[in-house]
Amino acid sequence: MIQDDIRTLEADACARIGAAATLEQLEAIRVEALGRKGVLAQISKEMGKLAPEERAQAGKLLNAAKQLLEEAFERRKREFDESRLAARLDAEWLDLTLPAPGPRPGSLHPITQIQMEIEDLFVSLGFMVLDGPEVETEYHNFDALNIPRDHPARDAQDTFWLTDGNLLRTHTSPVQVRGMERFRPPLRMIAPGRVFRNESVDASHEHTFYQIEGMMIDHDVSVAHLLYFMKTLLREVFRRDVSLRLRPGFFPFVEPGFELDVQCFICGGAGCPVCKQSGWVEQLGCGLVNPNVLRTSGIDPEQWSGFAFGLGLTRLVMMRYGVEDIRLLQSGDLRFLRQF
Amino acid sequence: MKFSYNWLREYVDGLDISPAKLETLITMKTAECEGIEEVGAYLGEACAARVEAVEPIANSHNVKARVETGPSGAKTVVCGAPNCRVGVVTVYVPLGRKVIQGIESDGMLASGAELGINRDDSAIIEIQNQASLDRCKPDSVIEIDNKSINHRPDLWGHFGMAREVAAISRQNLRDPVKLDLLPAGPAPVKIEIADFDLCPRFSAIVFENVKIAPSPLWLQYRLSAIGLNPINNIVDLTNSIMAELAQPMHAYDRDKLTGSTIFVRAAKAGERMMALNDEEYTLKPSNLVIADAAGPIGIAGVIGGQGTAISDQTTNVVFESANFHAASVRRTSMAIKLRTDASMRFEKAQDPVNTVRGLARVVELMREVSPGARLVGGLGDQKRDLPALPQVELSVDWVARKLGRAVGVAEIRDILESLGFGVRENGPKALVVTIPSWRATKDISLKDDLVEEVGRMVGYDSIVPQAPAVLDTVPPQDDSRAFHREARAMFTAQGFTEVHNYSFVSDDLARKFGFDPDDHVRVANPIASDQNLLRMSLVPEIYGNITENRKHFERFRLFEIGREIHKRPHGLPLEVTHLVASIYSKEEGSADLFELKRAAECLMPGAEACPTAARAYEHPARSAEILWRGERVGRIFELHPNLVDGRAALLDLDLDLVQKLRPRVKTYTPLRRYPSSQFDLSVIAGIRELAADLRTKVKDFAGDLLESIEYLRQYSGPPLQENTKSVSFRLTVGSPERTLSSDEVGAIRARIIEGMRGLGYELRV
Ligand SMILES: [Zn+2]
Repeated sequence: MIQDDIRTLEADACARIGAAATLEQLEAIRVEALGRKGVLAQISKEMGKLAPEERAQAGKLLNAAKQLLEEAFERRKREFDESRLAARLDAEWLDLTLPAPGPRPGSLHPITQIQMEIEDLFVSLGFMVLDGPEVETEYHNFDALNIPRDHPARDAQDTFWLTDGNLLRTHTSPVQVRGMERFRPPLRMIAPGRVFRNESVDASHEHTFYQIEGMMIDHDVSVAHLLYFMKTLLREVFRRDVSLRLRPGFFPFVEPGFELDVQCFICGGAGCPVCKQSGWVEQLGCGLVNPNVLRTSGIDPEQWSGFAFGLGLTRLVMMRYGVEDIRLLQSGDLRFLRQF
Repeated sequence: MKFSYNWLREYVDGLDISPAKLETLITMKTAECEGIEEVGAYLGEACAARVEAVEPIANSHNVKARVETGPSGAKTVVCGAPNCRVGVVTVYVPLGRKVIQGIESDGMLASGAELGINRDDSAIIEIQNQASLDRCKPDSVIEIDNKSINHRPDLWGHFGMAREVAAISRQNLRDPVKLDLLPAGPAPVKIEIADFDLCPRFSAIVFENVKIAPSPLWLQYRLSAIGLNPINNIVDLTNSIMAELAQPMHAYDRDKLTGSTIFVRAAKAGERMMALNDEEYTLKPSNLVIADAAGPIGIAGVIGGQGTAISDQTTNVVFESANFHAASVRRTSMAIKLRTDASMRFEKAQDPVNTVRGLARVVELMREVSPGARLVGGLGDQKRDLPALPQVELSVDWVARKLGRAVGVAEIRDILESLGFGVRENGPKALVVTIPSWRATKDISLKDDLVEEVGRMVGYDSIVPQAPAVLDTVPPQDDSRAFHREARAMFTAQGFTEVHNYSFVSDDLARKFGFDPDDHVRVANPIASDQNLLRMSLVPEIYGNITENRKHFERFRLFEIGREIHKRPHGLPLEVTHLVASIYSKEEGSADLFELKRAAECLMPGAEACPTAARAYEHPARSAEILWRGERVGRIFELHPNLVDGRAALLDLDLDLVQKLRPRVKTYTPLRRYPSSQFDLSVIAGIRELAADLRTKVKDFAGDLLESIEYLRQYSGPPLQENTKSVSFRLTVGSPERTLSSDEVGAIRARIIEGMRGLGYELRV
């Protein structure tokens, strides 16, 4: 009976599927049972010889067997896939405590970092950032800044003179002059950069250091405006509220000129060794732009007034991080620079 | 500059501000104070004492002395001074009892140095009586930072500072000068000034019957307190008037002068003078001298000569009180490398009105320091016309506009008058201010200078910070700043740490890197002989960074962005911003050079390296120029192995040029609608043929339909012949208008193969 054959085949194939040890064996069994030339196909062919009602019954049986076997194959195949994947995943075990290859980010020079901070602050307040040459003319470095011919600052012990008669700028202030020459007021500008003083180098003195210069020219710029910007600047730089005081200070390119002190953070103004018991730490020089400086650059001091300030970036870095030796900043020593 | 509080008080009636408070007020309103020194502490309780009896102490150079102190009675003290003998009147200081060498000593007998009166610590001080100590009281000495009074000639004397103190404390100022003491009549010494620009005024008086002796104690003490060394009555007198009025003075022994004329003239070339400091100076015509008929007797404004100096035998004295051109004194002082108390004051541009004021003080004080001395003849006073006192118009509104706070007209007037300015009202809220002579020499000429006077006296702490109006335009920003930031960010992200190096190099270092020292801009006054050139390249100092850091690290990456400075025939040198980056590794290999090349490509997509003749410091087989957008923008190379152990790859880029070449705007091309095709080709070539050259050749044969050509790999070894290699490329071809047929793709491929074969290359396909 064909029905018996089907049942026998089904039982036999199920047993063999369960017993298949490899995916290849399983495939062979599948081809043998379900392939185009497989046993079920043979039986299907033979069914043509049966009577119609018998054929219908046998057909049902055959389809059921085929479905059952296909499901059994799938199930078994899935078992194989799963265990193969599990084996692969296990083999792919990684020691994630190993270090990752490739370089780590380097760091920017601490002076660059503080310079960027201050630039960003002033840009947000509507200032331009200007640049000027490191080799300057005597005119831009001194004359145009109302620094007289016989002023001590021009002496060889303060200024690096070049054999061509020019000099290495002693401050960033000449960029003020260049700014006034290039742009007309109203004008808000800062100028960061490298400056030079002819000074022997030791732990607290350098012949090369960094400054940032600022200037604002408008109608009616006053000491009150200067105070506003200085307070904003120092609050951002020190990331805390600051108490300031202005006191007289003399710089030929400003009038009146000021020294600006910040109340000592260490002692809160009570007096300590850091502030030499005064409660205040000298921070920067500033003032209202001297009318002679405006006039020299073709700006009418009756119409316009301005303030200017100069801040030492090198000193700021030393204060912020407690750097004890100024020479480290230009040493190129990565043991130092990588800390920033 | 040191200021005695007691001395200042002599000119300010009723000053009741403590020294500490005064120090702060002076700092806030006038000049920076650097601290207070207490002097003469023992003088508070010191009194005159007569030594009544002296007994030796066994095995000691000390003696046991009994002294009579007057009000405090008799005391027994142990004293080691050689002049502790019966009858001496000295100074007793009650210090409490203590046992010295078994003897109870109740207080001490003091030396001049211990009391702070002078520098004599060799003996106990000998005085006449209690009255000798009358003006010797404990004092506070306020030290002012000299730099903060450079612009204020008047503050180099106590009277000038007292004027500030009077204005600060709103007290009256008492002028010690009595001009009517100046003698009338013909001057006994003739004065001849060659150039009134260099010497606007020279005044002199003459005394006879002078007796050289130590100064009274109060005068010695006053000078000691401010750091001057008491010498004798005449020298101390001139020093004290200098410290009082800021007017330097000089005293000559009249009997040592040759002739009866004093000349103020340029030195003759090679003229010599032995100065008071025992140095001989050889002078030049740019030095102004005071001379008699025989030659120089003083270097004007700097120092006097030894030949005419006051000695113990002097009886006739010429007092000089002159005014010299500030810059001339300064230049001479610099040239002969000698700064004195006099030259420091003259450098600030002293007031010519002051010369005779100083002499009036001489007349007054000589009565006390040399009682028998007599004036000879009248005042000698050569001068050009004193300049008229300048006047400056000042409006109340101008003050308010500059300070950012209003100050009333009455307050402005009050402040200016207290500082010695003349003030006249010139309509509502308008003033005409007369500048006093002592502020007119260089200090004050503008209305803004007066704003400062008002501002500092009302106090800058009374000004409230005020934000300005917001701008209605965005200020232009500098492209290079943004680009340098981008470059910095890119290099730090790839592991490079930023360094800063000096702008200076030495001749040797320049030569080592193939530069001619003479091509550099030179420093005329270098701080050290190895820092005399301005760098034309950042590489030499980066090399220094490498050799230093390799002592601590096996591998590292660093970079600098800085300026090369190049000489130009005219004007300022050319400053070019460069970026130099380096990767150092102790291990052998070439990977770092490619890492560096990759970093360069990140900054300049599509940049190429073109092998070039190596420079002396470069590895001869590992050096290339970097080309980008048709320009040579820099070099990439390994340092020559002779220069460094391990491998140091360097990249040197002209950042200014790179920035100029950067595309300003980004452009968009629509995506291709038709699929492209890819195939690989391997070219067999000589082992040292450049991959970039092969790529160009393949590309040229590929024609217009080539979309891209990508280097895959290279291989050498079996089965290839020796000294050959196979370089593989992946080509992508396509058309924006249609999909290429396989025949078309095949034709491109065949054309390349045929073309390359024509050039003599075998292809592995
Ligand atoms: Zn403190």
